[in-house]
Amino acid sequence: MQFLDTFHPAWPGAAALGAPLATALAAIACRPSMGGARAGQLARAAAAFALAAALLGLLAIALFGPANFRWLRFDLVGGLVLLLVAFIGWVIARFSRAYLEGEAHEARYARWLLATLTGATLVVVSNDLLLLAAAWWGTSLALQQLLLFYPGRPAAAMAAHKKLVLSRIADLCMLSACALLYAQTGNLRIDTLTDLAGGGPLALPVQAAVLLVALTALLKCAQLPFHGWLIQVMEAPTPVSALLHAGVVNLGGFVLLRLSGLVDQVPAAQLLLVAVGTTTAVAAALVMSTRISVKVSLAWSTCAQMGFMLMQCGLGLWKLALLHLLAHSLYKAHAFLGAGGIVRDTMVGKLARPAAQPGVAGRLLGAAGGLLIVAGAAWAWNISLAGQPALWVMGAILALALNPFLAVSRSGSWLLAWALAFGLAWLYFALHQLAGHWVLSTPTGGNALWLIPAIGFAALFVLQTALHARVLWTQRLYPWFYGGFFLDERVSRLLFRMSPPPTARKD
Amino acid sequence: MNARDTTFALDPDLHQQAIEAACGRIAPSWPLDQLIAVNPYWGWVAQPAADAAAQLGVLQGTRLTLGRTFTRQAWRDGSLTRHHLALACAAAPGAADVPAEVERLVALLAADAAPEPLPEKLPLLADLALAPLHPTLTPAETVIHQISQHCAAFFDDGQAQWRPGPGDLWNNWRDALAMDRGLAWARGRTWLVPALANWPADASAAVAYGLARLPLAPDAWTGYLTALLLNVNGWASWCAYRLWQAKLEQRDDETLVQLLAIRLAWDVLLQEDLGLLAARPGWTAQWAAQADAASILHAAQGDDWLLQHAMELAHQHQLAQGIGRAVAVLVPRTPAIQAVFCIDVRSEVFRRALESADEGIATCGFAGFFGLPVAYSPAGSDLRRPQLPGLLSPALEVSEEGAGLAAVLRRRRQNFLHWRERWAAWRGAAGSGFSFVESCGPAYGLRLLARSVPGQKAPERWENTGLPNPGKPRLPATMDPTAAADLAAGILRAMGLSTGFASLVLLAGHGGHSDNNPQAASLDCGACGGQAGDVNARVLAALLNDAAVRDALADRGVQIAPGTHFVAGLHNTTTDELQLLDLDEVPAALAQSLDRLRAGLLKAGTVARQERAPGLGLPPAAPAEALLASVRRRANDWSQVRPEWGLVNNAAFIVAPRQRTKHLSLGGRAFLHDYDWRQDPDLSVLTLIMTAPMVVTNWINLQYHASTVDNRCYGSGNKLLHNVVGGRLGIFEGNGGDLRIGLPMQSLHDGQKWRHTPLRLSVFIEAPAQAIEQVMAAHRVVRDLAGNGWLHLLRIDPATGHSERWQQGGWHGL
Repeated sequence: MQFLDTFHPAWPGAAALGAPLATALAAIACRPSMGGARAGQLARAAAAFALAAALLGLLAIALFGPANFRWLRFDLVGGLVLLLVAFIGWVIARFSRAYLEGEAHEARYARWLLATLTGATLVVVSNDLLLLAAAWWGTSLALQQLLLFYPGRPAAAMAAHKKLVLSRIADLCMLSACALLYAQTGNLRIDTLTDLAGGGPLALPVQAAVLLVALTALLKCAQLPFHGWLIQVMEAPTPVSALLHAGVVNLGGFVLLRLSGLVDQVPAAQLLLVAVGTTTAVAAALVMSTRISVKVSLAWSTCAQMGFMLMQCGLGLWKLALLHLLAHSLYKAHAFLGAGGIVRDTMVGKLARPAAQPGVAGRLLGAAGGLLIVAGAAWAWNISLAGQPALWVMGAILALALNPFLAVSRSGSWLLAWALAFGLAWLYFALHQLAGHWVLSTPTGGNALWLIPAIGFAALFVLQTALHARVLWTQRLYPWFYGGFFLDERVSRLLFRMSPPPTARKD
Repeated sequence: MNARDTTFALDPDLHQQAIEAACGRIAPSWPLDQLIAVNPYWGWVAQPAADAAAQLGVLQGTRLTLGRTFTRQAWRDGSLTRHHLALACAAAPGAADVPAEVERLVALLAADAAPEPLPEKLPLLADLALAPLHPTLTPAETVIHQISQHCAAFFDDGQAQWRPGPGDLWNNWRDALAMDRGLAWARGRTWLVPALANWPADASAAVAYGLARLPLAPDAWTGYLTALLLNVNGWASWCAYRLWQAKLEQRDDETLVQLLAIRLAWDVLLQEDLGLLAARPGWTAQWAAQADAASILHAAQGDDWLLQHAMELAHQHQLAQGIGRAVAVLVPRTPAIQAVFCIDVRSEVFRRALESADEGIATCGFAGFFGLPVAYSPAGSDLRRPQLPGLLSPALEVSEEGAGLAAVLRRRRQNFLHWRERWAAWRGAAGSGFSFVESCGPAYGLRLLARSVPGQKAPERWENTGLPNPGKPRLPATMDPTAAADLAAGILRAMGLSTGFASLVLLAGHGGHSDNNPQAASLDCGACGGQAGDVNARVLAALLNDAAVRDALADRGVQIAPGTHFVAGLHNTTTDELQLLDLDEVPAALAQSLDRLRAGLLKAGTVARQERAPGLGLPPAAPAEALLASVRRRANDWSQVRPEWGLVNNAAFIVAPRQRTKHLSLGGRAFLHDYDWRQDPDLSVLTLIMTAPMVVTNWINLQYHASTVDNRCYGSGNKLLHNVVGGRLGIFEGNGGDLRIGLPMQSLHDGQKWRHTPLRLSVFIEAPAQAIEQVMAAHRVVRDLAGNGWLHLLRIDPATGHSERWQQGGWHGL
């Protein structure tokens, strides 16, 4: 009765509910006794069904508009993220077929893979904050089982325990946020919660709740200094890493997107997101460039990318945050699953003769050129950056990012380089425009938060340029970045004092 | 300098001897892009295998013999009998009451005991530490983790963009440890930093300094230092590889000694930080008694070796019986087509299939690098890689079309590669990755979709990146014609082909085919340095087709008819397809022969695939096209961790004319090398075979053996956790730990059972006893391998076809 309390002309969008339903039923049906091959078959069938349902649902939403119910919500943003998670799930289920063949506990793997997918998809279609929190919690519990797929590996147990403690703290934050909101408004429906933002300044408990949600997102997105577990879970099979990095860790960004109207109204939450997000993005990206194994390097990259996404949330650049969430997931799933190809890539790289490297002046000139190109590409899309400093900063980051093409050196065709750079900038704004059709962006013009990423990324550019120029002081910084600022060791000691790891270890 | 420091100044030789002895124990391990098989016990072959096993047990906690699961299984299915047990007991040194021994072993085999535990190693000081040095790792794990991460950063070759500063491995490590604020030293960093600064800057001096700070007597040093290196065996093997390469190039490399200094410094620092010896005074005595511990273990492992030997005897008997049944074909008949394959065990299946497909095709086995001492450098690139066994150093460089490649093509390739580099920076540089994801990330959705549905098309060789049709690899055009003819004559002689050439001769190299597989090179041709063998086959075919070379060969007594043509091919061991190369050069007159060869190869491919299908979980009865499609898709599947079974279950190396084995199905377990002793009066060919291919097959065999009997120490663990280090250096299993060497479980075990039975190689050579003994007498490596039980040497009597085995300095009938 509650479920369909109002007749909705757009109910076909509810087809998307088929995704969590299929994976949930299959997870229940998946018994350890049924044998690996059968369980794998079941998982692949369920994942394929979930993918079909998500596609159908998204199509219906696009045609008939969003469908909001008391507990569930089928709108464009949710539909897109649902399609993403279902697609990643399908790819991983297929990948796992040959990859896990002969493993002792294939059925257990299939069951918890399906359960994780159920949790993640349920988060995406929830229209009630408490249901969402519960689904998020469930996702984390199911994933825990996958991270401990090899329970005999002590490093797996340690990382999983660290994640468990942090996740429970995050869950506590989320529950407190729900309690505060319910006490204040008597309502936890997500679509109507956002209406609170309409009239005047938010009540203090609501503001506190939003701040708590932001904190939850930071914890669940493995932001510094709570990043250690994300880096150390390479003790589970590769597809589990792909699932975690592409389908689960980004849910923090999604939850913020769901509450974007509220987040925009709470400067403290915005400040928290922008400050921590920017710091993590810049620092973790530099740490990544010191890593020596492919999977750990990818993990630091995820940590940085999540920071960037949360920073965009804090800046009110919601359409970019959504785009980032979707695009990063696809990229990272591919990067993890295909990580074995790195040897071949390295060898192809060795075919190249060392080329003349651009100097400091060349890089600065390239940066200036990048700004011109980005301005041109924005103009081509009729995007006005006037009065939108946050968007300006994103454009400037893009301009600096194009430096590998634009930095002036003696080798290579500059015409081709400029054409390619313009093409990429054009593509960037094309996707930006496209995402604008999916979600409303509310870039903050009034506050000075944009200064934080502006300074952070300028510093990053300076450091990178100094590194290329082999300036001496950069070598003194190396041990700090190589050691990840020794943050994880400190945080781990603290966490394990609060909650000692389960197996008291001898020797 | 304190009083103790002066002690090492008195006897520097003792330290140096201990260092050299310890370093000499470590076998090299090649990087992933040249992943050839290595006998990991190579540093121990000068002593009997059982003695080495006892020492390795004490120092590393490993074992060398197969587990009881194998022997019990063989006993139950009847392949292992009382007869084999009795022979093994009789062959053991100091054999006493054989029947009683046999009964004891039978009782052991009948019992249903739990899997036998690995031996316990003597503790290093780090193993005694209990302090919370690191929040998530034990001190022993912390030591390995810290050293491993440091070595990876130091040796990195393609992963990190920001690299550590200058300095050698040892001094760089001292700086890194002093900077590490993540470790909780009991006495604090204020103690650690000056303590580290006191160590000598020279690595050998540092080892002496460290030893002087421990109460170990000099006769315990070698064992202790060896145990320290074996504690970080993965990186020690990497350093040993660097040393191996340096020696091939007449250089030296110090990194292994530096690694030893690092590992020793850890033990000493932990002892001084925590006062470990005060709490465990017995430690010194334990190390003083290491020889006694090894003797005790030696005695305890006696039964394991008896059973190991009995299993091998069972296999030898079966094989010798088959060989003895050969029908002697006395008159060599010139076949319509000859096909030369690599000695690789995978060739045996294909050769048998090819011979059955067309009786006019004769096959022959020879090392897959075809005796060419070459390195290969893809045209227009700076890459240069060995294309020959790891034992040898390349003398010549081959490249596409010599130096004749147009400069414009070279430039185009380099341009392409530089754009690729820029793209990689746009994707991976710290400041670029964010914008990259927001503009190019969605395209990976399509990539994921495409790779989830693997197709049948074989990928382009990566060496052709940026230069799609680079032409044919050739020896340098500047090569002296006399030298070229000498090279060709030597190779043909070693192949046993100096007369009776067919009009078409196929030279077939081989390579594996897998996607997303960091250890793909382990499926390629080991004789070609872990590469596909097409380059060598094409170069040799061109050399032998050269009219000037043929004229010069005639002067050297090798007559190749003008109508004879050598054609190169590449046997894809994953799909059992054989691709013929450079067909534009085949004379029109041979069109019919070529068609016949093609038809034979197609049929052989089908038969070989059907034979291998059950092992891959594919239905052998499926239609030929469907089976081909499945293996092709399997080869292109990015999630496939068992694209093929490689050299699994290898057990024998047969050096004899093909007639000896042609009637046998050897199940892909035997390396086959053609050899006719009558054509080798000066024994130069036999010497070559016993010092090169035999050593290579020993390396392959003991790599599979070691990875099976102790995958933790000598295997690379679970492929599902593999994490490539430094772009190409090696593998971590999971987050970190030591660098892993050897084969992964997925290459040895199918989830239900072991696919490899760890039997030491049985080398059957058809030659007079005296010839074999003469080669043994002249070459220490052959004596060591055969005399110390690292392989079994057997002789096929040319007259009778009966086999006898070499044991304790004499021949014994089987």
